[in-house]
Amino acid sequence: MLEVIHLTKKYGKTLAVDDIGFTVPDGQIGILLGPNGAGKSTVIKSIAGLLRFKGTIRIQGQDSHTMDAKKCFAYVPELPCLYEALTVREHLEFISRAYGVALSEEEVSSLFRRFELTDKQDKLGSELSKGMMQKVSICCALVIRPKVILLDEPMVGLDPAAIKELKAQILELKDRGCTVLISTHMLEMVKELWDVTFVMDKGHILGTYAREALANEDLEELYFSVTGQDRPLEEGR
Amino acid sequence: MGAIGYLYKRTMINRAKMALKKPVTYLYLALLLFYFLALPASLKVVGQEMGIDSALGMAGVLTVIAFWLIPANLIAYAKRRGLVYRHSDVHFLFPAPLDPKRVLLYAHLKTLLLQVLVSLFAVVCGGVMFHVEGWRLAVYFVFSVLIENLLEAGIMLLLYGSERIGDRQRGMVIKAAYGIVVIFLAMAVYTYLQEGLNLETVSHFLHSDMIQLVPLVGWYIAAVHLLFVGATAVNVTGTVCYGLLLAIVLTAAWRMKCQGGFYEDAMKFAEDYEEVLESRRQGNARMRLGKKEKLGRAAVRWRGRGASALFYRQLLEYKKSRYFLFDINTVVAILAGLGVSYLYQREGGFGALEPYRALVVSAVAAYVIFIFTGFGGKWAKELKSPYTYLIPDSPFRKLIAATMMQHVQALVNGCLMVVPCAMIMGLTLPEALLAILFYEFLSANKLYSLAVAQIVTGNALGATARQLMQMLLLSIAIFAAVMGAVMGMSVGGVLMALGVMDLFLGLFTIIYMVIAALNFYHIEA
Repeated sequence: MLEVIHLTKKYGKTLAVDDIGFTVPDGQIGILLGPNGAGKSTVIKSIAGLLRFKGTIRIQGQDSHTMDAKKCFAYVPELPCLYEALTVREHLEFISRAYGVALSEEEVSSLFRRFELTDKQDKLGSELSKGMMQKVSICCALVIRPKVILLDEPMVGLDPAAIKELKAQILELKDRGCTVLISTHMLEMVKELWDVTFVMDKGHILGTYAREALANEDLEELYFSVTGQDRPLEEGR
Repeated sequence: MGAIGYLYKRTMINRAKMALKKPVTYLYLALLLFYFLALPASLKVVGQEMGIDSALGMAGVLTVIAFWLIPANLIAYAKRRGLVYRHSDVHFLFPAPLDPKRVLLYAHLKTLLLQVLVSLFAVVCGGVMFHVEGWRLAVYFVFSVLIENLLEAGIMLLLYGSERIGDRQRGMVIKAAYGIVVIFLAMAVYTYLQEGLNLETVSHFLHSDMIQLVPLVGWYIAAVHLLFVGATAVNVTGTVCYGLLLAIVLTAAWRMKCQGGFYEDAMKFAEDYEEVLESRRQGNARMRLGKKEKLGRAAVRWRGRGASALFYRQLLEYKKSRYFLFDINTVVAILAGLGVSYLYQREGGFGALEPYRALVVSAVAAYVIFIFTGFGGKWAKELKSPYTYLIPDSPFRKLIAATMMQHVQALVNGCLMVVPCAMIMGLTLPEALLAILFYEFLSANKLYSLAVAQIVTGNALGATARQLMQMLLLSIAIFAAVMGAVMGMSVGGVLMALGVMDLFLGLFTIIYMVIAALNFYHIEA
């Protein structure tokens, strides 16, 4: 479970996030939505432990700063940045050592196969394309066997096959009871995944919406109605 | 092995493997080895002339280095700067369940190899230049690599990592560091007022007891004096204080609570660092770490159309910049001009080379332009930008428009280098003008040879191969210019040599320019 309680973050005098709170229960997929500048990145970086903030963030009931919380938490940032001088396989080895997880050869091979990285495993980080880096970043998050995973625009740069695979992986994680939080603008990509949606704007949570409570309402409709943004005119209308 | 150890080890091994595959590494290694051995040998003469070729001299030099290095490090750590993290560290290391103190030490360890090299260099200098006994140098090496590093790491952990020290306290540390510098300056002024200004006064000041009583920096200086000069009551006391400080700092750092509050600042620093790296890759030598270039308001009257837009855009960028046309090349040109002039005046001429002094100026210009080949300036940026190729104009006009500002820049730099030399050496006006023209042509040659190098190496061979090819092309042009100088000299003296040299270099520059323009046509086709 991921709990964000009274989270406030200021950059100098600018209030980026103002006393927000939300919870994503075990085995549920939360979607964080909001226009540019809404404060999503600040929330995500706070959860990932990259920012100082006021308030509390709990991962599986533990304060997010504790080692126990970090051990079961995985993070896929928007822009994957691999170590230039580590190979793909060495990235996984490094992560397994950092998180103290035993990694079998079968598991590594299976992951590489699923994300079509088998022939890239000995390539250095600096030799990969953006899409390949994103795949490695996702693999690194998955080898942790997380109980809470945070994905920031995870589908950007991925090819259709990798997007399909990622969606399957997310659903598998959900089935295993893992808490998933995805921040994205690609609403179409997550429409069949989400359980709960948090719509943010100007540092506040405008609304929290559970899928079952919304009946058949479309995620895109919901987004535009909550944020008050004008929906772009579609061609032919 | 832990995760950080694994990361450090694999990164080092893979980097070494990558480097050994590049021929340029062997060139750099040879240069490094040459400087490593040649510099102490040449400094030996300077040391003898200045009368500092003894262990006392080494203590004096280390004292001077400590004056600025230790306060500078303190300030950097108090500002939560000075440790280099990359985006990959932010991505993988910061969210990982690793002790944030270890993450700090990892960044500190990245500089260990360089520190070992610097200490080794100091040891070589100690033996060759200062004639220090082997055992003292061995102790110094262990002291600088182990003890100094331990204290620095401890201070770094406390200042960078502590979550109990607020911004106010950090500010106080910064003020204290500046305070130490002020104390030393006050002591220097006091010594000067008491004894006047001469080499002996400087020596008295550097080895005086009073500076060895200043906390931290003074105590380090005391330890250095104890090692190189011998025991005195003051330096033993200072050394004991240094040891006590080390113990206190390490204990405090060990017990300090750190949950990664510094990650935010480290992440910001990593962003700045990557931005500077990217900027350097694009040939912009102006950007400095932690100091974003402040751009002012400016306007240009846009004239013409098509490729002219490139020229006016560059002009606008230069006008917005604080330093306008001036950059690292300007600094190098000024320093080279002043350096040559100073040497000329100090030595009372160039001896046997005196009749060829105008050619010496051009030779120095060639050296500095060649050495700084890596900084491509705005031209390198234009070559990478797809918009350059999309502008609806002829490639030749684009080439001229995109390089015009850099030609103006080179002309200014050439004048800044040659004019002081011409005045001190008494060059004639034609000689000075031809020397400036040489600087201009060679700078232009550097620009166009980059484009030619790109054609020859293509994209597959990478930046290093491109740079090597550019250096080769530049060397060919310089060789042709030298041949021209030899021919000119055999026909009609120095002025003729300068003229033919410029002519040959100019021809090569035109050839490279035409090839670069033809490549523009080729790319656009």
